[in-house]
Amino acid sequence: MADIAIVGYAQSPSWRQSELTEPQFLFPVISEAIQQAHVERRDIGFTCAGSCDYLSGQTFAFVMNLEAVGAWPPISESHVEMDGAWALYEAWVRLQHGDIDLALVFGSGKSSPGLPSEIYPLQLDPYTLTPLGADPVSLAALQARAMLDKGTITEREMAEIALRSRQHGATNPYAQVKDGRGDVDAMLAEPYVTAPLRRHDLPPISDGASAVVLATADKARAVCDRPVWIRGIDHRIEPHQPGMRDLTESLSTRQAGNHAGVADRPVDVAELSATFSHQEKLLREALGLGDRVEINPSGGALCANPVMAVGLARIAEAARAIRERGATRAVAHATSGQCLQQNLVCVLEGA
Amino acid sequence: MTPDTAEPDADGPVTMMDYFMQLEYHELLCPVVRRYAEQLLDGKLIGHKCPSCGLVYLPPRGYCPICVVETTDADEIELADHGTVTNYTVVTPVQYYGQEETEPFVRASVQLDGGNATMNLQDLVDVPVDEVRVGMRVAAVWKPKAERDVSEISNRSWGSAEGCIDGWKPTGEPDLPAEQFLGKAAF
Repeated sequence: MADIAIVGYAQSPSWRQSELTEPQFLFPVISEAIQQAHVERRDIGFTCAGSCDYLSGQTFAFVMNLEAVGAWPPISESHVEMDGAWALYEAWVRLQHGDIDLALVFGSGKSSPGLPSEIYPLQLDPYTLTPLGADPVSLAALQARAMLDKGTITEREMAEIALRSRQHGATNPYAQVKDGRGDVDAMLAEPYVTAPLRRHDLPPISDGASAVVLATADKARAVCDRPVWIRGIDHRIEPHQPGMRDLTESLSTRQAGNHAGVADRPVDVAELSATFSHQEKLLREALGLGDRVEINPSGGALCANPVMAVGLARIAEAARAIRERGATRAVAHATSGQCLQQNLVCVLEGA
Repeated sequence: MTPDTAEPDADGPVTMMDYFMQLEYHELLCPVVRRYAEQLLDGKLIGHKCPSCGLVYLPPRGYCPICVVETTDADEIELADHGTVTNYTVVTPVQYYGQEETEPFVRASVQLDGGNATMNLQDLVDVPVDEVRVGMRVAAVWKPKAERDVSEISNRSWGSAEGCIDGWKPTGEPDLPAEQFLGKAAF
């Protein structure tokens, strides 16, 4: 596989409810990523976006998002109805062809206009799960319960993960949840939202966007002092029906991590799309990340959860850890579906 | 979400199940469209003129997607409420559920005088369907001020003045040449 590098990245703050339209808040994010890459917009050979019309509540909403790109004269572009991390995967594949040397990737979403608890059940089995209103929080609660029953996590560990995430989020200018105060005993005294999940175990509802510019090896070295290299990337999917899986493990994360080469060398930082606190521990074990690995220094999805941008933001944050904070090797993870049904793992290195 | 209320056949197997769903979305109006809606109530059509290429966007979007530059209040201009039909479609209604129209009607694009700004999917009034022409001169028929309503204006209703303008009626001026408009893209 050809070496591909990240040469620019940007993200918007995460908002509970933005009054801007998706193209409006994408606009400066895409411009910033391109400027940071020191490339010209017209030199980008391929553009790929990740977004979800069900979130926006309008068919073909993704077409409007192209207005933030500069699509005239016409450009070569594609879209995935998935998190921008999968758009990055498509762009990475596209760059393997070797006929172009720059690609723009972005992800964006507004969760605020709709009700996630009504929208997400529609992506499940229409006979047995959608009519039950099986929403993400209820399904995540079943997953956490399964882990508690198996003894692979405790409610105290979940609260510790949440508190540490919030403390990190307090230092992240893009985070939505920035209150790092509190102590675990007080958090455990809070009532359940959906047992065994408390408020701190849940992600915020967020609007936001992220963007990344990719380059082939020669181009990356030409435009950038410190390209961040994609050393491995892979994604795997498990059955759609949560009842067919062991929810206490993430086989697809394990497989994606193996194929992406996570264990080949030590990892300094991991940015994991753990949308619920217990998932961080599950992912950590699936990826074989030991105690010395710094997990979610950005605060992760528990502090900012702009659906469709949050996975790509993990890749941007992992790149930031390498380029701006001295990490040598970082792992980024994105997820899709309920209870970690589908997972993408990306290994980044500074040299 | 409403369950099927039809009487099930108590003796037979369940072979089919109705499942009705609806999703509601509530999006805040973005500032530039909020300003557009306020001006509509005042009987004014406003747009943003791109400082780079001069194209006019109505309603304002806050950027020019062609030049990829942001536009601000400083780029706001007031537009004429009269212009020219640049193209149209005659819609022959099929009586599907919810269809309120029974007779063929026109949806027209109207380019406002003084620039490129074009309002799409506009109603024409006081003109028979078979007399609509590309190049026809038209003027807005505003609702009385007290009846104007912008509750249907959304961030997605680019070019809409529904609730404030009843439609566009011929002014009686001579047509402009159709060739001036046909075969051109409208932004």
